[in-house]
Amino acid sequence: MSCIYGLTLRGIDALPVEVEVCLTGGLFSISIVGLADTAIKESRERVRISLGTLGIKLKGHISVNLAPADLPKEGALLDLPIAVGIAKEVGFIPEGVNGIFMGELALDGRLRKVRGGVPAAFLARQLGLPLFVPWGNVADVSMVQEVEAYGCSNIGELFCHLRGEKTLQKLDFTLPQAKEIAVEPDFADIKGQAAAKRGLEIAAAGHHNVFLVGAPGSGKTMLAKALRGILPPLSDDELIEAMRIRSARGLPLETDRFRPFRSVHHTSSAVAICGGGIDLKPGELSLAHRGVLFLDEITEFRRDVIEALRQPLEDGCITVSRASGSATYPASVLLIAACNPCPCGYLGDTVKECTCSPGDIDRYFKKLSGPILDRIDLHLQIPRLTPEELLELDSDAENSSAIRYRVMRARSIQLERWRHFGIKCNAELTERIMKKYLGLSKDGRAFLKSIGASLRLTGRGLSRVLKVARTIADLAGDKAVKDSHLAEALAYRGGFSFER
Amino acid sequence: MRAREIILKDIKEKTKKDLGNWGEDLASLVLSNMGYKILMRNVTFKRGELDIVAIDDDELVVIEVRVRTNGKVQSPIESVGPRKIKALICSGRLLIEQLGWEGPWRIDILGITLDASNADGYDLEYVKDVTLGMI
Repeated sequence: MSCIYGLTLRGIDALPVEVEVCLTGGLFSISIVGLADTAIKESRERVRISLGTLGIKLKGHISVNLAPADLPKEGALLDLPIAVGIAKEVGFIPEGVNGIFMGELALDGRLRKVRGGVPAAFLARQLGLPLFVPWGNVADVSMVQEVEAYGCSNIGELFCHLRGEKTLQKLDFTLPQAKEIAVEPDFADIKGQAAAKRGLEIAAAGHHNVFLVGAPGSGKTMLAKALRGILPPLSDDELIEAMRIRSARGLPLETDRFRPFRSVHHTSSAVAICGGGIDLKPGELSLAHRGVLFLDEITEFRRDVIEALRQPLEDGCITVSRASGSATYPASVLLIAACNPCPCGYLGDTVKECTCSPGDIDRYFKKLSGPILDRIDLHLQIPRLTPEELLELDSDAENSSAIRYRVMRARSIQLERWRHFGIKCNAELTERIMKKYLGLSKDGRAFLKSIGASLRLTGRGLSRVLKVARTIADLAGDKAVKDSHLAEALAYRGGFSFER
Repeated sequence: MRAREIILKDIKEKTKKDLGNWGEDLASLVLSNMGYKILMRNVTFKRGELDIVAIDDDELVVIEVRVRTNGKVQSPIESVGPRKIKALICSGRLLIEQLGWEGPWRIDILGITLDASNADGYDLEYVKDVTLGMI
C-alpha cells in the first residue's frame, strides 16, 4: 500500500487528505472510497488515460482510499495525488516519495489549474512537506513564504522529477509589485464636489465607511469608483489575506496591488454577500476584504441583506454557519453606500421639483435602520451642479495620485502608531486602545463635553467620531486630536437635511 | 505448424461449428506466436464457455474468439455485446477461483474475418482488456 498527501478545500482553508492506494489481483478496475464527490469519482478515467500516456499499463483492482473518511471531499484537484499514489504503488516512482499534490489531469497528461493555490501553500508550510502544483497555480503558490513548492506543466515532467531523472525548479517567493495604473475615473475628472472629495479622502485614509446621498446624475457612482484610485496599495500581509480568499473562490489573482473593489447589484441575496451555500463559500463581503464594498442604490436592497451587514461591519469578520459546518471569514471592508434622497430622486434639488409625499420618503429610508446608519461614519451629501457650473469649472482639480500620496502618508503614520497592536488603520481601533493612545487634546475633550449632549451620540457613535477625528488629524499631520478635527468629524455624522 | 498453413479451403462446406473450431485453432496459434502461454481451451461453465485461457507475462488472459465470414455488416469485435461480456466476467471469476489465481487478469477478444482478397484469406483484429473503463 502506498500513501501520499492531497488536499481538499473547506472555505478558505485547505485540509490535508491522505490518499492511500492498494493494488490487488483481479479484473482491471479503480474504486475510490472516502466521501468523494462526482468530480473525484470521474477522475479514474482521467488518471487511467493520463498514466497510459506515460506507458504505465494498469492491471488488477486498484482501491483508492481518501482519508479522513468522514470529511467530504470535492473537486478535481485530487486527480494528481490519485495518479501519483497509483504510480508509486505500481513502482513507477520510488517508495520514499512524499509531498502534497494538487491538480486536475487532462487526458494527455497535462495538468490543469485548480482553485485554492494560496490555502494549499499555507497547508504545505504547516505540514512541512513539498508542494507540487500545476503550472497555472504557480502565481498563487509563490505568494507564500517558506514553502518548498514546484510547478509542473504535465505529469511526465513531475514523474521525471520524482524519479530523480530531471529536477524541477523550486519556486521562489514572489509577490506582485505595486504598479502605477491610472484608474478611471480620476478625481481630476470630477468637477466641483470638493466636500465629497475631502470626505472620500478621509475615508480612504482611515478605512471609514461612507454614505453618499444625492440626486440622480450628481456623480455618486463616479465618486465611489474614483475612490479606488486614491486607496493605498495592499501591504504584503493584506495582499496574502485578500488573495487567499480569491484563490479559494477560484477568481483570478490581482497582478498589481489595487485594493479589491466589489460593486454589488441590489438584487443580490444575503448568501451572495455574506457567504454560505453547501460548501460555505466566502461572499462578496469577504472578497472585498481590505478593500471596498460598494452598494449602489442601497435602499433598493432587500432589508435582510442590509441588516446582515451589521455584525461584519463592526467585527471585521463574518462567521457563516450551516448544517454542514461553520467557517469564519475575514470581512474588513470599507463600505460605500449610495442612494437618492427620495424615491423620485429630486428632494432638495435646485432645479427639479420633488414629487414624493412625506410618506414615500419615510418608507424609502425605512430600509436603512438606525444600527446601519450608526455604523457609517461619513455621511456625504452630493449636490447637483447646474450645466452652467459644470461648463464653467475647468479641470484644475487635484488628480487621484496627489490625493493618494496624502492618503498613503496618513496611513503610514497610523501603521507606525498602531504597530504594536497589530492594527492597520484607525477604523480597526478598539475601545481599550483608544482610551489610552488616541491622543485626544484637552480642547477636544472640552469641546466634546460641551456639544456631546446636544448631538445625542450613541456610545458607538462617539467612538466612531473619535476614530474619524483621529484620521483627520493624521491627514493634517497632527499628533493630538484637536477640537477642529472633532468638529469636522461630527459634521460628517450630521445626517442629511434636504429642503423642498 | 505456421499460421499460413491453416487456410480454409472451401467455406461453403464448413458448418458453423467447424468454422468456430477452426477459428480457435488459428487463434491459439496466433497467440502462442505472440508469446502467450496457452493454458486451457474450451473451459465450460454455467454461464458459458471460455474459448482460450492463456498467460501473458504476469497476467491471466481469457480470450473470446469470434469468426465472421466476409460481407457481414457487423465486425467480429462488435458482435460481443454487454451480455456476453458479463457472462465472460462471471465465468472468468469462477475460473480464477478454480485455479487459485491471485494476480491480475483480463478479457481479450480476437476477431477473425474471412476475406478471400487477402493473401492469408483472413483478417485479424485483437482487442485487449475489453472491460477497461466498464467497471
